[in-house]
Formats: sequence, structure tokens, C-alpha cells
Amino acid sequence: MTAQYLLNAILTVLTPINLLFLVLSTTAGLMMGVLPGLSATMAIALLTGLTYNFPTQSALIALIGVYVGSISGGCQSAILLNIPGTPASAATALDGFPIAKQGKGGLGIFLATTVSCLGTIISVIFVLTLTPMLTSMALKFASWEFFLLSIFGILICGAITAQGKAVKGWISGILGLLVAMIGLDTVDTFARFSYGNVNMMSGIQLIPVMIGLFGFPEIVKSFKGDGASEIQKLTKFKAREGFKLVGKNIGTIIRSAFIGVGVGIIPGVGEDVGGWLSYWATKSLSSEEEKQTFGTGNPRGVISAETGNNACIGGAIIPVLSLAVPGSAPAAVLLAAFLMHGYRPGPLLMTESPDFVYNVGIYLVFAAIAMWVIALLMAKVTVRVLRMNKKILMPIIYVLCIIGSYLINYNMFDIKVMFAFGIVGMFLSYMDCPPAPFLLGVILGPMADSNLRRALRLSDGSFAPMFQRPICIVFLIVIAAMILSQLGVFRQLKKVNTRRKTA
Amino acid sequence: MKNLIVSLLVLVALSGMVFAQGGSEESWPNKNINLTVPYNAGGTTDLTARALGNGMSKVLGVTINVVNTPGAGGSAGTLNVQNAKVDGYTMLANGMLAFTTMPINGYTDKTFRDWDIWIATYAPNTIIVPKNSPYNTIQDLIEAIRKNPGKITAGTAGIGSGGHFGAETVKAIAGADYKHITYAGGAAAVTATLSGEVDFCPQLLAEFKDLIIAGEVKALASLAEEDIEIAPGVVIPSILDTYPEAAKFVPMGEVTGILIPKGLDEAKLAKIDAAFQSAVKEKDFLDFCSLKSFTVNPMGRAESQAYLEKFASKACYLMYDAGATTIDPAKFGINR
Repeated sequence: MTAQYLLNAILTVLTPINLLFLVLSTTAGLMMGVLPGLSATMAIALLTGLTYNFPTQSALIALIGVYVGSISGGCQSAILLNIPGTPASAATALDGFPIAKQGKGGLGIFLATTVSCLGTIISVIFVLTLTPMLTSMALKFASWEFFLLSIFGILICGAITAQGKAVKGWISGILGLLVAMIGLDTVDTFARFSYGNVNMMSGIQLIPVMIGLFGFPEIVKSFKGDGASEIQKLTKFKAREGFKLVGKNIGTIIRSAFIGVGVGIIPGVGEDVGGWLSYWATKSLSSEEEKQTFGTGNPRGVISAETGNNACIGGAIIPVLSLAVPGSAPAAVLLAAFLMHGYRPGPLLMTESPDFVYNVGIYLVFAAIAMWVIALLMAKVTVRVLRMNKKILMPIIYVLCIIGSYLINYNMFDIKVMFAFGIVGMFLSYMDCPPAPFLLGVILGPMADSNLRRALRLSDGSFAPMFQRPICIVFLIVIAAMILSQLGVFRQLKKVNTRRKTA
Repeated sequence: MKNLIVSLLVLVALSGMVFAQGGSEESWPNKNINLTVPYNAGGTTDLTARALGNGMSKVLGVTINVVNTPGAGGSAGTLNVQNAKVDGYTMLANGMLAFTTMPINGYTDKTFRDWDIWIATYAPNTIIVPKNSPYNTIQDLIEAIRKNPGKITAGTAGIGSGGHFGAETVKAIAGADYKHITYAGGAAAVTATLSGEVDFCPQLLAEFKDLIIAGEVKALASLAEEDIEIAPGVVIPSILDTYPEAAKFVPMGEVTGILIPKGLDEAKLAKIDAAFQSAVKEKDFLDFCSLKSFTVNPMGRAESQAYLEKFASKACYLMYDAGATTIDPAKFGINR
């Protein structure tokens, strides 16, 4: 039976019209992903409207193609310009941009694209085999766990991005958390820091903040100093070198995919967090010596971040299929699209349309492969931006930044937000504070805030339940260990110990 | 030469603008219409709007683009439409619970009486509990609330959401308070019910219909006037079966429709009337509604106004009496 469904799904994709849809939608997704401001969520939402009158299977193929494409496309601008195309690829920029600076932009994109493809395919295997089991895992996450997970996310992002100065990363993260407090809170619908302004009341939108924080400083930087020295040389990229690196890091890829799927399953936590967690796991498991090279162009950084964010796709689709509860923002839009085409994801799916799960899985695999081919073809063109004079390139990027901010809500206010956070981003970069924790603070702020307050309301103000839940205890131990190690407590203990032994 | 080209270009651009202007006055609609949904894509309002918009565009002969402007409980997008030029190219799709309570929440001084409204669907609230819950009937739950006032938790999508109105109705029937736990949306509230974090969830039936059929949650009662059969053999009893005295509170649920600020001329309104009446009969729309267990209950402009007088009074006073707002509905001429 299973083989029959899989075969049918494959035959459906291979009809000429569906292949055309697959290629077109994946290309469109990649382009949306590359452009800062056009996010995966928006790409799927736009296509949902467009595919309303398509034949059902073609529409599903197009939607999944655009999802995979847009999550994967973000890495190209992150690597080439240090401006993540979507929030999901912020972790990729960390090592990707230094790789490009060394003139190996082609290699960086090849690695990111290949592991994106692999990450998606590994996550599909999870979708097809473990959906019921993993769903029950997602339900283990309640308010306390969400709160600790968001704090954990910001702490690791701060520790990773600020080279050796974790406190600066954490300052940046806490500033982001404060920005997230602006607007109507989700617990009591009380307007905070909005000063009676309707736009502020809606809260600060994520995308303009991201474009401002990452885009603005890069644009200004390109006009400092003389342009001639900015033009970089490109070393020719050899595919064999890329494949070798991927082969050598197969362990890292599988681990990152596991983490990505896990993060994707948890409702509300999506692709952006998946990349950071995988990156952190890879960095903390590597040797002392290698840890120093993260952030300066270590290919393993790119590999783990990109596998992690793409594996979230499969992860996020799991609760959509089994409970009709989306695991991430783009998956929420995908759920809407499924409903629109007459499928009812949820507990009845397996009895009502058992072929659907296999269709989705196979479409994901084909989308991943199509994405790999198209992204690498695109990269041949996009890599050239490295050779372009930054003083010509950056004004174009600047215009794209403004358009991207406006398109979120068709609201001029968001452009002003982009400017304001552009200036904040400049300050952060002068102070050596990384912008990524700030962004993650804005993403996870509402989650940390509302879950803590909700948990306290459920427990009548008592913190005790936090210490009685097994997942919470694991989080608390890891958080404590991270803070202590970053502050150098462990190193000092070791020193004291060795001194005692010698004495 | 260069000057000539520039001035020619300017001329072309200008004439284009003039013609575009002239055209829009003559035959409406002659360009795409934007239908604002003040929530994220994929929500119930969004899906209803898309299904309706698709049907209406067939009659109007232009594309209706759905524009999602989420924020501030739906008021940000609503105010956008309210402040936009009333030319028939900007419409709003909204749920009436959030919409009719906007003035008493301090978002605007305008009420539903300042809009032309076409109501399309009704979706009832339903009370569900986790599958391992000790409550098996609505009576069990109401008795528990009476015995432990302020202790039984209700998970909803927030203040002023459909679920909040459902919970307030339960409170009115029990005569005792519940503990309100708010989530970032209906899906999150339902997830919390599945994991057993809250005691009950009074959101809209459409949000967890399949979970009830699959037995993942138990449905105790709906706030509709009649029993609802959502699948062969799966019947959700009306709350009136057990508490007939609740008749003054039901039907409770979300009512969704299309809205335009008053000021559009009658000829254009008549075209929208026709498009709306045809859209609610489209097979795709009806299929979508039966999938979601919505009651298709189309009302024209006059009928909608009459219906909303009663509806707004119920919704506004429920919130005012619950202490969720301090602005008296009477200030806007909304009476009990």
C-alpha cells in the first residue's frame, strides 16, 4: 500500500505540467528568499492566493516548492552580503560571509545549498516514518518549557555571535527582548510603550527590524574607505572540494537535521531557531582549538546552520499533518493552503486521505532536488555581486530594503521602523555587539513574555512547577552551565584545581 | 533632443494618469479590488474572505486581492480601511465580535452603523475538554466552576476573541468565575487543551472539529440553538438541552462578513449586493463552509444592520460587565 502511494506521488510529480510548476515555484521561492524582506511566510501566502484555481496536486507541488525554495534562498544573500534574506538564515551569515570574503563565495553557497537539500530530505524521512510518535512529543511543551526554550535560544545566540564576549551578545539579546515588548501584549491585550499610536500598538514587525539591523550597517560600511579595495577576487570553485567537505561532515549534517526536525515540531518555534540551535550544538561539540575558528569562516558553521533551518520544514509539517497545528509561521500559511484545496490535515487525515502524507513527502523531496539544481545555477550569477563595486551595488540593495519593509503590511510606518533599527544596528556594530541576538530577541520576546506570565497565572504566581517538569530541569541545567562557562567560572575552577595538585 | 525625450515621457505619464482617473469614475470596477483581512493568512477570517472574494470576483469581473494586515486584535487593518478613500476598491473582511467591540476597546469612535455590511457565515462556540478530563457533560463542568469559583482554567485566543465570549457565556450560566488563560491564537489554545494545560476551551467549533471526531478531545456542548451533527453519529448537544435558561445568551459564536465604510454610491453598492448574493451560492464557498461546520447565513445590508444591533449589544455588554473594558457601550448608543 505504502509503495503504491509513493509510486503514485512520484508519477504525479513527473508529469510535464507539474514539473514546470515545480521548477517555476522553486525558482520564485529562491528569489523571494534571496531578497531581504520577502520571507518564506509571505512567499507562501502570495502563492496561496494565486494557486486557488490550480488543479489540487499542481497547487500542492507549487506551494511546497516555494516553501523549500524561500527557506533555502536566504543563505545566498547571507553569505554574499552579510544580509540574511530571511530571518532563518541569520546563523548562516556568521561563517558564510567570512568564507565569501576569502573569495570562496561559490564554495559557501555550494555547501549551504547542498546541506539545505540534504536537511530537507532527512526531515522528510521523519515525516513519513515517525509522525504519530513525534506529535505526542510536541504536546510535552507547555508554557514553562516555551519560556525556558526562548531564553535558552537568546542565550546561545548571544554566546555564539559575540566572539569571546558573551556578555555583549546577551546585552544585544536583552535589547531585542525589550523591543518585543512594544505593542499589545498577548495575555491581557494591554498596550505597552505604544504612546497612543495605532502602529506602535500593532507591535514592531520583525522583517523591517531585520533589514535595518543587518542591511543598514552593510550599506553604510560600503561607503566608508575607497571603493576600489572593496572589490574582491574570486577563486574558482571546484565541485570536488565541496562534495569532499560535505562527505567529511556527514555526522554534523545528521545531528543538525535531528535538531532541526525537533525544533520544527514544537509549535510556534520555527526555522530561525533551528539554525541557531544546530550551530550551537556543532560548536560546543568541536575541539577547543576548532571552536576558535567558528565565526571566521568555518565551513561546519554554514553546514550546521543551513541543515538545521531546512530540516525544520519537515518538522514543522509534522504537527500540521497530525493535529492541524502548525509548527512555524510558514507552515501556518501552508496549512491554510491545504485547507483551501480541500484537504483537512489533522487526526482524520490518515483515514480520509492516506495518500496525502506520502504526496507531501515526495513533493518535498523533489522540491529539495529542484532547489539544489536551480540554486546552484543561480549562484553562478549571484556570486558575481562580490566582484561588483559596492558603491553601485549597495544603493540597489538599499532600494530593495525599503521595498521589502513596505511589502510586509503595505504600511509606511514599517519603513520608518527599518530606518530606526538601521541606526540601532550602526550603534551595535560600533559597540561590537552582534545584531543576531537582537533579532532573535525580537522573534522570541513575545514567546518568553507571554509564556512566563501565562505559566505564573496557571500556578497562582508560584515558580515551583518550573522545577518539577523534566524538560524544564534539562533546560535549567544547560542554561546555568552555559552562563557559568561563558563567564569563565569553569576555567577558574580548573586553574584552582591544577594549582592545588602542583602545590 | 534629450529635453524632447524627457518632456515626451512626462507627457505620456501625465496623460496616463488623467485617463486612469477618468476611467475609474465611469465604470466601477475597472481595476483589482483589495480585500483587507486584519489577521494573518490561514486564519478562519482569512479563509472565509478568500472563499467569498473568489466568488465575488467572478461577478465583478476583476481580481479581488486579499491583503493581510494583522495586528492589534484586528483593529489595525480595520482602521486602515476606515481611513482609506471610499472608492469601492478597498474592502474589509472581519469577524463581528472583534469589529463591533472596537469602539468600547478605545480603537475608534465609529460603530458598525458607520459601515455597509454583508454577513455571510455563523460559527458556533463549542466547549471542549481534554480527553482524560474528569468532566464528561456540560453539567459536570458548570458544577465544578460553581464549586471552585476562579479556579477552573479556560484557554482562549485572548481578550475579545471568540473563545473569550464563549467563556463569558459559561460564566454567566454558572454564575461563578473561571480563570482566564490567554494564548497567542486559537491554535495555541487548542494545543494547550490537547496537552491538558487548561481545563476547558470554549473556542469556535471550526477550530477543533476534526479533533472531536477523532476523539482527541471531548466536546461537552455547543453554544448554538440546536444540536449539531459534525460527522455521522458524532452529535454535539446544544447547551439549551441542559440549561434552557441560557436562551438569552445563545446563539453565541463568530459572525463573519464583508464591510465597506459608508459613503459609496448606491449604484456600486448594488453591484456588490449582486456579487455577494452570487458568491454565497458558489459551490466552492458552500463546500468550504460545510468543511468548517459554518452555517451559511447570508444577510444583505439592511438585514445585517438589524442583526448587529442585537449582536453588538450582547458582545459589548459581555465585555463591559466582565471588566475587560471601562468604556460604557451606552456612550456609542449601544444599549442593553
